[in-house]
Amino acid sequence: MPKCLECDAEITLKADVEAGEIIDCPDCGTEFEVRSVDPPTLDHAPQEEEDWGE
Amino acid sequence: MNDQDAIALLRDLCGAYSPSGEEAEAVALLAERAAAAGLSTSIDGAGNFIGERGNGPATVVLLGHIDTVEGFISPTIADGRLQARGAVDAKGPLAAFVAATSRAVIPEGVKVVVIGAVEEEAASSKGARYVCNRYAPTATIIGEPSGTSGITLGYKGRVGLTLVAQQPHAHTAAEGRSIAALAAAWWTRVEEYCDRRNHNHRTFDRLDPHLAEFHTSTDGFTDRVDVRGSLRLPPEADVDELHRRVAELAANWGDASLSGHLPAFRSDRKTKLVGAMIRAIREDSREPTFKLKTGTSDMNVVGPVWQCPIVAYGPGDSRLDHAPDEHIVLDEYLAAVRVLTRTIVSRLG
Repeated sequence: MPKCLECDAEITLKADVEAGEIIDCPDCGTEFEVRSVDPPTLDHAPQEEEDWGE
Repeated sequence: MNDQDAIALLRDLCGAYSPSGEEAEAVALLAERAAAAGLSTSIDGAGNFIGERGNGPATVVLLGHIDTVEGFISPTIADGRLQARGAVDAKGPLAAFVAATSRAVIPEGVKVVVIGAVEEEAASSKGARYVCNRYAPTATIIGEPSGTSGITLGYKGRVGLTLVAQQPHAHTAAEGRSIAALAAAWWTRVEEYCDRRNHNHRTFDRLDPHLAEFHTSTDGFTDRVDVRGSLRLPPEADVDELHRRVAELAANWGDASLSGHLPAFRSDRKTKLVGAMIRAIREDSREPTFKLKTGTSDMNVVGPVWQCPIVAYGPGDSRLDHAPDEHIVLDEYLAAVRVLTRTIVSRLG
C-alpha cells in the first residue's frame, strides 16, 4: 500500500485504478498521480498552469 | 490514416477558408476525407461535420470547431511547420481527432463521435449549442490547442458589457463634462472596481475588463456615446451583482448593461479520462501539464449540460491563435494524433 509523500498516511488504491489517474491523500488532501499500479507508485500530481487562449 | 495522409488532411482543411458562417466548403472536404479514412460521416442541421466509428452504447465525443477567424493565410509547409489560418485554432486539433479516430481500434461498446462545429469563433456558438441536447457523452475532449503535453481543465467565462448614454448637445466651451468624458470616466471606474476585486487573485480567478469599442456621435441636438466591451469572468462570478455595480457607476446619466453571459467552467481532474490522457502523454515520453485558460471555448457551452468527464486537448501554441503568423509544428501535430489514438482506446467512463 503506497504512502502519502507529504504526511506518510497509507493510501488505499481502488481496485480499478490505472496509471495516470489523480488521487488524493485521505488525511492531508495532497493530490498524487498514480505512476504505476504494480508495484503501486505515486508522485505529485502535475501542477496547474495558467495560459492565454481561445 | 498514416502520417502523410494526416498532414495532407490538415493542409487541405486549412486551404478551405472557413471564417464563421462560411464553413460549408471545409465541412464537405472533411466529410469526404473522413469517409475515405473509414468514418461514417454526415452533416447535421446546424452545418456541423459529424464523423463516427464504433457502435456504443457508450459515446465519446471529440468536439472541435471548423471555423476560423477572418484573414486567410495560404497553407505553406516549410522547415517542419505548416503556416496557415486555423493551423492552431483549431483545425490542427480537429484534423488530429479525425486521424486518431481512423487509426484507433475502437473498444467494443464504444462509439467515437468527431464533431467539427461551426461558429465557435462567433458569439453565437451555433454548432456547439446545436449538439448540446443531442448527445449524452460518457467522456468529451474539446479540440483546442493545449500543446502536445498539455491538458486543459477549464476556461474563464465571459459577459458582454455595453454603455449607452446621451445628453443635449453643448458647445465645447460650455460648463459640464462632455458625454465622451463621462463615458471615459465610467470605464476607468469599472477598471478600478475590477482591480480592487482582483487583489491577490491569480489570473484564472480575476475579473478582467476589456474595452472593445468607444464611439461618440452627435446630430447637432443630442450627443451620444456607445461603449462596447466585455468582462472575462472567474468561476462563481455573480453576474447580477456585476450588473448592479456597472449600472450604479453610470447612474443618472447612462444605461450600462450586461448580455451574453457564458459562465466559467472547470472540470474534475480525478477522472478516467484525465488518467488516460496523462498515461498517453507519458507513453509518448512527454511530461504532462494541466492548464487553465483565460479565454472561453465550447467547453463553456457543453460542459455544464453534458456533466461528463471533459478536457480540452490539441496540438499547437495558443499564443498563435488568430495571429498573422499562425503555424503548427508538424511533429507536434503527429504526436497529438498518437496521444489521442491511445486515449480513445482506453476506458474513459
